[in-house]
Amino acid sequence: MHCPPFDDLSAYVDHMLKPRARERLHAHVEDCPDCQRQLQALHTLRSRLQEMPSPELGFDLGARLQDQLRAASDRKRQWRLGWAWSGWLPAGLAAAAMASGVWLGGLLVAGSTVSLPRATMVRVFDPVPPGGLCAAAELCNLPKGMR
Amino acid sequence: MRNLSHLDESECISRAQRGDVSAFSELVSRFQDRIHRFLVRLTRSQDDARDLTQETFLRAFQSLPRWTPDARFTTWLFRIARNLAFDLLRRHKRVEFVALEEHATIVDTAQGPDDVLQTAQRLRLLEAALLRLPSEHREILLLREIEDMTYDDIADVLGLNLGTVKSRIARARSALIGATPR
Repeated sequence: MHCPPFDDLSAYVDHMLKPRARERLHAHVEDCPDCQRQLQALHTLRSRLQEMPSPELGFDLGARLQDQLRAASDRKRQWRLGWAWSGWLPAGLAAAAMASGVWLGGLLVAGSTVSLPRATMVRVFDPVPPGGLCAAAELCNLPKGMR
Repeated sequence: MRNLSHLDESECISRAQRGDVSAFSELVSRFQDRIHRFLVRLTRSQDDARDLTQETFLRAFQSLPRWTPDARFTTWLFRIARNLAFDLLRRHKRVEFVALEEHATIVDTAQGPDDVLQTAQRLRLLEAALLRLPSEHREILLLREIEDMTYDDIADVLGLNLGTVKSRIARARSALIGATPR
């Protein structure tokens, strides 16, 4: 067997080869110093990378973010509430329209009982022109106190 | 702040999804250092990493109601962090776009690299070599070697298929071994 490609050696280290491919590669590596060195290099790389000092944030971000998270949570709640109310808006408008329709309809039906002023009380022309003086109080229909 | 360290991850998540800020803060405390160290090495800037760590958790909190358990919470967080980091790197033009031909020639690593990585000085050199790698190589090595993620999780974070994850990990390892002084 020729030396396997580096991709396979890398996947072998991660236990990501299928069982038959793994067995084949394992059998080859046992007799191949070059592949053994490459596998060793891969293992060493991994362990050294894990040994590198890990940078830390150095403070409790969760505690620091509490106010911002609460504000975001409140905004979300208000938005949801507003959305819920806006859902009722069309229904409210429809109800109002229906109520006004019923009321106007009621006026039409009750129109026959509405009392109209007597014809004698209706004046088409005022006897006194606009801005003119009233010649006789009884003609001008002035209030009692002004007669 | 209430102490919720006794709760398991799924309980914290479901409480946080119902708007419990303390439960989400507990999740932040658990994952902040992993996200931060990933971002420090991906952005190569402590300041950017600090800001992006905060931004990652704020985005996660906003998106949490849409999170479903079919995605692992950890990989979901890393995906948010990674996307934010790449947005920033692109804005600052700090992404090194390299052709990642999956079957290109691999550096021969058979020459005793285990002797190279022995001392603290050599660890620093390794870190420097890691930071010099193209972002695509660096991120996949960080997820595999430092965060110990499975290929499936890495595929999920990076939006790649498993075959590409496998070959890209191999190429990134080869590049780092080749870039490390012997």
